[in-house]
Amino acid sequence: IWCHLLALTRNQLHPPSRGPHFTGCRSREQETFRCWWSAGIFQNLTEPGTLRVFYQTKNALSEWQECPDYTHTVKNECYFNKTFTHIWTSYCIQLRSVRENITYDETCFTVENIVHPDPPIGLNWTLLNVSHSGLHFDILVRWAPPPSADVQMGWMSLMYQVQYRVRNASHWEMLDLESGTQQSIYGLHTDKEYEVRVRCKMSAFNNFGEFSDSILVHVAQIPSKESTFPTTLVLIFGVIGLVILLVLLIFSQQQRLMVIFLPPIPAPKIKGIDPELLKNGKLDQLNSLLSSQDMYKPDFYHEDPWVEFIQLDLDDPAEKNESSDTQHLLGLSRSGSSHVLHFKSDDDSGRASCYDPEIPNPEDLAALLPGHSGRGDNHPLVSRSSSSIPDLGVQQTSEVEETPIQTQPAVPSWVNMDFYAQVSDFTPAGGVVLSPGQLNSSPEKKKEEENEKKIPFQLVSDGAYTSENTARQLSADVPPSPGPEQGYQTFPTQAVEGNLWNGEYLVSTSDSQIPYLLPEAPPVPILPPVSGYTVVQEVDAQHSLLLNPPSSQPAICPHSPNKHLPAMPTMPMGYLTPDLLGNLTP
Amino acid sequence: MNKLKVLQAWLWCVSLWPCWLSHAVPLDCKDETGSLAQCASISQEKLLDRVIQHAELIYRVSEESCTLFEDMFVPYPLHALRSQGGNLCHTKPFPIPGSKSEIQQISDKWLLHSVLMLVQSWMEPLIYLQTTLNRYDDAPDALLNKTKWVSDKLLSLEQGVVVLIRKMLDEGILTSSSIFEHTLTPYNEQSPEVLESVLRNYNLLICFKKDAHKMETFLKLLKCRQSNKLSCVSY
Repeated sequence: IWCHLLALTRNQLHPPSRGPHFTGCRSREQETFRCWWSAGIFQNLTEPGTLRVFYQTKNALSEWQECPDYTHTVKNECYFNKTFTHIWTSYCIQLRSVRENITYDETCFTVENIVHPDPPIGLNWTLLNVSHSGLHFDILVRWAPPPSADVQMGWMSLMYQVQYRVRNASHWEMLDLESGTQQSIYGLHTDKEYEVRVRCKMSAFNNFGEFSDSILVHVAQIPSKESTFPTTLVLIFGVIGLVILLVLLIFSQQQRLMVIFLPPIPAPKIKGIDPELLKNGKLDQLNSLLSSQDMYKPDFYHEDPWVEFIQLDLDDPAEKNESSDTQHLLGLSRSGSSHVLHFKSDDDSGRASCYDPEIPNPEDLAALLPGHSGRGDNHPLVSRSSSSIPDLGVQQTSEVEETPIQTQPAVPSWVNMDFYAQVSDFTPAGGVVLSPGQLNSSPEKKKEEENEKKIPFQLVSDGAYTSENTARQLSADVPPSPGPEQGYQTFPTQAVEGNLWNGEYLVSTSDSQIPYLLPEAPPVPILPPVSGYTVVQEVDAQHSLLLNPPSSQPAICPHSPNKHLPAMPTMPMGYLTPDLLGNLTP
Repeated sequence: MNKLKVLQAWLWCVSLWPCWLSHAVPLDCKDETGSLAQCASISQEKLLDRVIQHAELIYRVSEESCTLFEDMFVPYPLHALRSQGGNLCHTKPFPIPGSKSEIQQISDKWLLHSVLMLVQSWMEPLIYLQTTLNRYDDAPDALLNKTKWVSDKLLSLEQGVVVLIRKMLDEGILTSSSIFEHTLTPYNEQSPEVLESVLRNYNLLICFKKDAHKMETFLKLLKCRQSNKLSCVSY
């Protein structure tokens, strides 16, 4: 088989146009076949007799025999008659020049594979029917197998292919192969003239024979019947009317249908808040809305983790005597709870916080600070000692409520409220000595956040908060903010830094500095601008927060010059969104 | 010995009786007790028609399988092998004439026996072909289904031809293909290398198509003779 393979490929590689070669072999009826050759470019071999054909039947493994019959009437043709034609056997033929003893060409085949049947005969057509409109008609085409093919005996099984086209068109329509001798053609147009022709091939082979002569098919157009017209018109108008009715119905009942088919999905709503505001980002309005909300209930107070932040040492009598204010402040009466602003504990407000967004649960916080006596009660920082403060607090509460508040998730919005008190000193035991209404002008704030992971609350630890209002009102003589590095009304607490907390206060996982933004300061015309809060504008290379020079604009964030924070993009006024927040964490 | 053979043949026929019933084939019906019973029967003519239908279908499916296999596995330059009709088909113990005139002179008996022998000789190679095709990674399902179908139909064809032989020629025949097993041993080898296996299977398919054509031609000639004695006789 390999030798044969090689011979085959060799034959195919030689381009046949060079020299003498076979041009083809054909059989019409599988009983005889002919082969033709050409001398090619070798003109000296065109004389008859110079090139001779030899054949061999592979099955019999006989020797090479010469062509049994060179056709006299046709040039360069070798004819094999019935005696020499065997099907199911493989023939190989060679084109030789005997004089030079050269074989110019060789090819092998079986007779079935070279059969191209004669065209069918007797092609005719009959009309099957005409459509109601008179525009289309169907015909049945019939033919007979070619006489040369012995279909009766089963010598050849033929398959037929019918083709038709509009007369003189360029493209023939082809129908599927048919093993019978008739086929229907559907969908012809009445006013057009068609040509139909048919050809056949042996089933299981792919060699089509020649086409038969074309026949012409033409059916004259019959005028359309009147009776069908009104029916069509009525139908069309009826359908149009129905459609119009439906459309009218839908439009008139639109609302009801909308409710039935597309029931409105209740969107999450906060009472009194328009979700559009949240989308648009009009934070001022939002602040005003939120401040007007009835959200800051005393009930939340007992979950306020800030309660836990300040460690109290109530056992020290000295302190007790000294810090009556402290006691007041830390006294956990609930009378002032109305002034307490609770921060929201949900996180989906998207508002910035100076603190790590991952603010621990209040419960966790509570667990961290044992010994706190203020748990569950009023905010320890509620100032009660001075009478002025409650008054102020009242004022400020109202003021604050009117002003937009940017409350952070878990950021105590009481920051702005009147329960701030100034921590004037720390007791050695870590207690807080509060004094009402004094602004401490010491701006600096130390942080040892590398050592301790108590970031945001270190800010708290450095001092108590005083509301801006209070600060401004109470310390009118305080010089304006020294600069962006300020921020905070802090207290001389450096010494006590870190001692305030009894335990680890985990706010963030790293020693990140979280800018703490406070809402816009409520309008205080009296006070000079206090460097209470500024806007953190950006974070420079050393990751220190660059704050706006204090204006009437809000707030501050305590910065950490030692911190290395990633640069912050310019923020919207006053807000630090949590993702920006995340940027700040190293 | 003869009695044994006849008994065997009779037992075999009886055991195959339900199969024949499903084909509506049996020409005489005998149950186990040996008494004649009412059953569906088919005329010889119809049986021959049905056998020819089988043969035609097998031939057509063999052609389709060959084309599928060729498209899938055979490199293009080797497609010409097909037109050469398969060279090394496994030889049968007797030569079959190829010219029309010679074939027309073959007797009915010889025609039927040839068909039967052809059918029986192809049963095992087709199973071999199926196993090798199953081993190919990307053999199309259509090809596998066709070869399976052909194997099944070949069995039916064999049964039909056996009945025809019995009826037309009044001969009993044992339909075991064990006679030809010795000629089929080359096909039990493992297929060593891919191209060689492909070419061998290709050759197998070409040869099978040729033999299916033979079966169909013989059976059609037989039918022609049965219906119209004159035109099918050689002239």
